Amino acid sequence: MKKMKRISALAVVLAMVFALTACGGKDEGKGTTAAPENTTTAPAADGEDTTTAAGGEEATTTAPAAGGEIAQGGAAEGVKVAVFYYNFSDTYISSVRTALDAELNAAGAVYQNFDANGNQTTQNESIDTALTDGYKILVVNMVTSGSSDTAKSIIEKANNHDAQVIFFNRAIEEDGNEGAVLGANDNICFIGTDAPEAGHLQGKMIGEYLLANYETVDLNGDGVISYAMMKGDEANVEAIYRTQYGVEDANAVLTAADKPELAYFDASSQSGYQVDMDGQWSAKAGQEYMQTNLSQYSEANNNMIELVICNNDNMAEGVVSALQAVGYNTGEEGSKTIPVFGVDATTSAQSLIAQGAMTGTVKQDAEGMAKAIRGMVESTAAGTPMADGIAAVAGTNDIYSVAEGVANKLYVAYSAFTGVE
Amino acid sequence: MKNPVNALKQTSERYKTLDAKDRKKFWIDGLLNNAIYIILVIFLIYTYMKNSNIASASSAVNLLNLVAANLPMALGIGGCIVLTGTDLSAGRVVGLTGAISASLLQATTYINKFYADMGEVPIIAVILLAMLIGGVVGLVNGFFVAKFQLHPFIVTLATQLIVYGACLLYYMSNGNNGQPISGLSDKYTNFVKGTILPKIGGQSIPNYVIYALIVLAIMWFIWNKTPFGKNMFAVGSNPEAAKVSGVNVFLTTVMVHTLAGITYGYTGFIDAARIASNTANSGQNYESDAIAACVIGGVSFVGGTGTIGGVVLGVVLLRIIFVCLNYLAIDQNLQYIIKGAIILLACSIDMRKYLTKK
Repeated sequence: MKKMKRISALAVVLAMVFALTACGGKDEGKGTTAAPENTTTAPAADGEDTTTAAGGEEATTTAPAAGGEIAQGGAAEGVKVAVFYYNFSDTYISSVRTALDAELNAAGAVYQNFDANGNQTTQNESIDTALTDGYKILVVNMVTSGSSDTAKSIIEKANNHDAQVIFFNRAIEEDGNEGAVLGANDNICFIGTDAPEAGHLQGKMIGEYLLANYETVDLNGDGVISYAMMKGDEANVEAIYRTQYGVEDANAVLTAADKPELAYFDASSQSGYQVDMDGQWSAKAGQEYMQTNLSQYSEANNNMIELVICNNDNMAEGVVSALQAVGYNTGEEGSKTIPVFGVDATTSAQSLIAQGAMTGTVKQDAEGMAKAIRGMVESTAAGTPMADGIAAVAGTNDIYSVAEGVANKLYVAYSAFTGVE
Repeated sequence: MKNPVNALKQTSERYKTLDAKDRKKFWIDGLLNNAIYIILVIFLIYTYMKNSNIASASSAVNLLNLVAANLPMALGIGGCIVLTGTDLSAGRVVGLTGAISASLLQATTYINKFYADMGEVPIIAVILLAMLIGGVVGLVNGFFVAKFQLHPFIVTLATQLIVYGACLLYYMSNGNNGQPISGLSDKYTNFVKGTILPKIGGQSIPNYVIYALIVLAIMWFIWNKTPFGKNMFAVGSNPEAAKVSGVNVFLTTVMVHTLAGITYGYTGFIDAARIASNTANSGQNYESDAIAACVIGGVSFVGGTGTIGGVVLGVVLLRIIFVCLNYLAIDQNLQYIIKGAIILLACSIDMRKYLTKK
């Protein structure tokens, strides 16, 4: 009797596991474009190994390419590609993942996605596992942004298995140490953004917006714009640059037009920003900081915050929510709007901008990123040296540029987004 | 309720009978036992000296709003801690139920609508659904804890992962591709953030403060006036003894976790509109503040002790730390250290009470 009970319990557990996997497969299929539910066996890249990808539902059939711009369809036919994302829950990374899934399907690659969930150790372990499993092309979105040591250890792992690494999105070298990793390894490449560029673009956009609307923005008419700054993560290189250049570049535009520099709203603050204590770039942090700020700073007290600069759109949305609670930024006729700027151009931020509740953001091109990665996967599979592959991809579109002096580093351009073409 | 005047008289009578050494001990104990209140007051006075805005009406409203947003979850998790357990799944449940609430209550005109063809859904149905989903996760937690005698730490660690996975899938589904879910309908936003109370100091008191008070009243009633509440404390202090005296330990454990899950579902529903931006990461680490608040407020991991008032105090203390550190414009790196030190100090001083009792 007892044994029966155990067996039935086991059966229930197994049923649950299968149900979960099945659900997972279905939803994953919806996310990617037309990824068939079941996998087919793909011819192995090097002929030594004839397994299908381990994660059945992730791998896909050899669908013909749908008008890829970079290379001919199916150029990576059956090549095993392992893609390592730093965090599935990141909004921008999710966009890249969707776009890249589609591109890799089109290229005919057999790929598997790994989530490091924000943990470099997890990522390294996934890489080890994938290498043992015979993946020869690794596409890596490093967790520890800007660490050449982390990059070196990943490259070393890959070299031991004759695999090649395509890094993307998060920087693999320290600031001021450019070329240290990329210059020393010609079997790797990096596709990303120039880290300070988002801050520069944001700052310039803010400066220009202020010049055009100075009187309206300067609510108390003292001639100086007071601003608040929401930083996403105390230790992240991108966050640090955005925090710095978002203000510096705006000031440069202002001073060039004989206007005073921006003034941080809280004169007693030494840092000049408020940071998400959990390093999550979260809307919650934006909302709670702004709500707390607004309890001290208001038009009634003649010290209202006149501009809010945020490291990303999530924080900006939180800030807008707090402003709306006190009657600003409702987008309605006659209501006052405190200009709020973000970075990422998420769909929800774009719609806030369309409503007039938010002012501007900086767009990271997820599709452009995915296309470039696909181009590199295909050229690498064909045995083209990395630097040549990068040059070929750079030639396909204006948004790409090769880094100065580093032939295997490709930049995907940011662009300012204010909802106005 | 004891008459406070009589209690004070009794204390002073007792004090007169003490000798010099005991009197000294009386004062030290008194100081240490009320250390949390004293820290709170010192902290507020210090902030006031540096920045007098802290004493304004709008600052009080801000504090009230922050407390109201953080209180329900702490009340739920408090029950788990009374049972000597904990709940790590809280934050992820908030993330999932928030996503579901937001996706069901988007404006019908919103371009990137999650359920494009769906019309307007009644708000009350969504809040019930959110609480139901939270409750189901809690039920699963409670079942595994009670049935297999697993520690809640490991059970909720597991369910937290499962819920997070479900949340990630939800964000990737329906062509949403992991984008934040927003564009909430005005009805929903007004239901949560709108206000029916008059403004104080230029700051409005949003409706979720009223709901939080209702949740508080319900939870106080459950903890203090129902057999279930009494059973909860009995199971928390000694499950064997509770079992012998006829308490259904299994049912009580399951119900405490389910009730906690319901409060997370509620928090998810409220936060989706309060923050107005929902990503797969929403809600992450919410439980850490809630657990800290409970323990600061005297809900002990030893089990069987804790009061609703204590939880409220804990939440208020944590929010005061947040507000004061901001008003003081303290360097952000130092804020981590100060917050950690205060939590540690407050908890150890509080535990001292129970240690000396034993």
